Amino acid sequence: MTSTTPAPVIRAAGLTKHYGSVAALNDVTLDVHQGEIFGFLGPNGAGKSTMIRTLLGYLHATRGSAHVLGRDIASQSVEIRRLTGYLPGGIALYDSLTGEQVLDYLARIQGRAAYRRTELVERLQMSQTDLRRRVRDYSRGMRQKLGVIQALQHDPELAILDEPSEGLDPLMQQAFYGILTDLRAEGRTVFFSSHVLSEVERVCDRVGIIRHGNLMAVHDVRELLARRRRRVSIQWRGAAPGADSLPGLVDVVVDGDRLFGTLHGDVAEFVRAIASPSLEDLTIEPASLEEAFLEYYADEVPAGTEQAG
Amino acid sequence: MNGPLFARTLAWQRTRWLIVAVAMFGWGVLVPVFYAAFSDTVRDLANSGVFPEELMSFGSGSLFTLPGAVTLGTQHPLAIAMLGVFAVGATATAVAGERQRGTLEVLLARPLSRTTVYISITTALLMVVGVVLAALIAGFLTGAALQGVIDDLPLEHIPLLWANGFLLWAAFATFGLAATVSFDRPGPPVGLTLTYLVLNYFFEILGSLWREAEWTQEYSLFHHFQPAEILAGNVDPLDLVILATATVIPIAYALIVFPRRDLAAPS
Repeated sequence: MTSTTPAPVIRAAGLTKHYGSVAALNDVTLDVHQGEIFGFLGPNGAGKSTMIRTLLGYLHATRGSAHVLGRDIASQSVEIRRLTGYLPGGIALYDSLTGEQVLDYLARIQGRAAYRRTELVERLQMSQTDLRRRVRDYSRGMRQKLGVIQALQHDPELAILDEPSEGLDPLMQQAFYGILTDLRAEGRTVFFSSHVLSEVERVCDRVGIIRHGNLMAVHDVRELLARRRRRVSIQWRGAAPGADSLPGLVDVVVDGDRLFGTLHGDVAEFVRAIASPSLEDLTIEPASLEEAFLEYYADEVPAGTEQAG
Repeated sequence: MNGPLFARTLAWQRTRWLIVAVAMFGWGVLVPVFYAAFSDTVRDLANSGVFPEELMSFGSGSLFTLPGAVTLGTQHPLAIAMLGVFAVGATATAVAGERQRGTLEVLLARPLSRTTVYISITTALLMVVGVVLAALIAGFLTGAALQGVIDDLPLEHIPLLWANGFLLWAAFATFGLAATVSFDRPGPPVGLTLTYLVLNYFFEILGSLWREAEWTQEYSLFHHFQPAEILAGNVDPLDLVILATATVIPIAYALIVFPRRDLAAPS
């Protein structure tokens, strides 16, 4: 008896896109699995949108191949888009139509009933009055909400979202993250690009880091968070002990009875080592994912010129 | 073809094409009125020799006969400007305009091939051109009936008049559509299509006003739409072939180029 692993929802193999001599995407190989939220991270112009646009057929790959939901991006793009929901970055909608008309129109073209619209409208707090207003009267946040709804209303197997939380206020961002995690719970797959690390930390299972069109790494987010450095501040009654007696602590700075440093090693071992009656105060603050990535970029990315994304 | 996109394209043009259709109808009504009111005066003027003969048959039209007046009506700058609203304005901005606004992004996120998008938009806009042209011809007939000169227009040739005129304007429309799928901004396709239209018009008028430049008319699409000849039953099939070819070539170009273009993110 043989066990079969389901094919990845997105599988890119050596995907490359050149604009003339500029490499917007360079030999990207990546698998995104069913039921995961995959964050595609990178600074502006790194190649995030190029990757998405190549997967969806807006751009034609220079080299390499990719399959989305088992369909070839070069020959089965229409079928891919039938099963996918896409939110373009900085979405523009039909200004002369009402929100409801936009959603109806796009649902008709999609050819699938808008099963999720009511739920999405409620969760993103759009009223019927809002939907009956013309899009030209919408604020940026309202447009973004409408963009999210049009991408997900037909309950796609895969949601591809380009900078989805842009323009949403913090409350709506939380509602949006809730929608994503519910989609994951239902076995849907979400692939979204972002340069906001906090939202990746909040919702993603795995993250791919792209820079200059190169996929630098793919990480499990929990693993990455576990490995990150921590900032430590310790205060003693009396003089601080020598730094060499504190395991895993680097970049140590002593200021009177207070000591500051960065912890690389195991937290439990460190706490055991510093436990003493003279310990007055201890703060261990995890570095943000942002700092972890900045470290990553600093360590692993050679300086180069920014390229088109 | 995609039904919702086709319907949306028609709706998007609704106000504009209704206004132009009404204007064309009104213009069509006026032509027989001018013919009935001024043809004798114009004939006297022509016979007096005050005006050069060429000027009395502007663009192959004349006010001496109703079919000649109809020719004049279709080639008058006012008619060209009104029909050009679609042949240049609507077609040349159709896709490039959506691209600039960013709405093409959302459209192409649906399960539509670019070929389907192009065919749906082209069909809708050609239909509008056909309706506007039909309004012009309906105006001619209405005006002729009101003036009691309907017998001067052989009704059996009217469908061919419409078909020939449609092919002429379809040639400009498909040129505009070929241009619009080739650019990310509406400026270049509008400029190109306008230049194409004006050059064709210039060659036709130049040849009709200046004998030595008569050869230029052969290179004008307008020269292959002669209402007076059609209404007289003297249709040259070559005219239809030339106009059909001028319509089909841009369609073929667009069907090759549009699906192969890279559509980078709108800036």
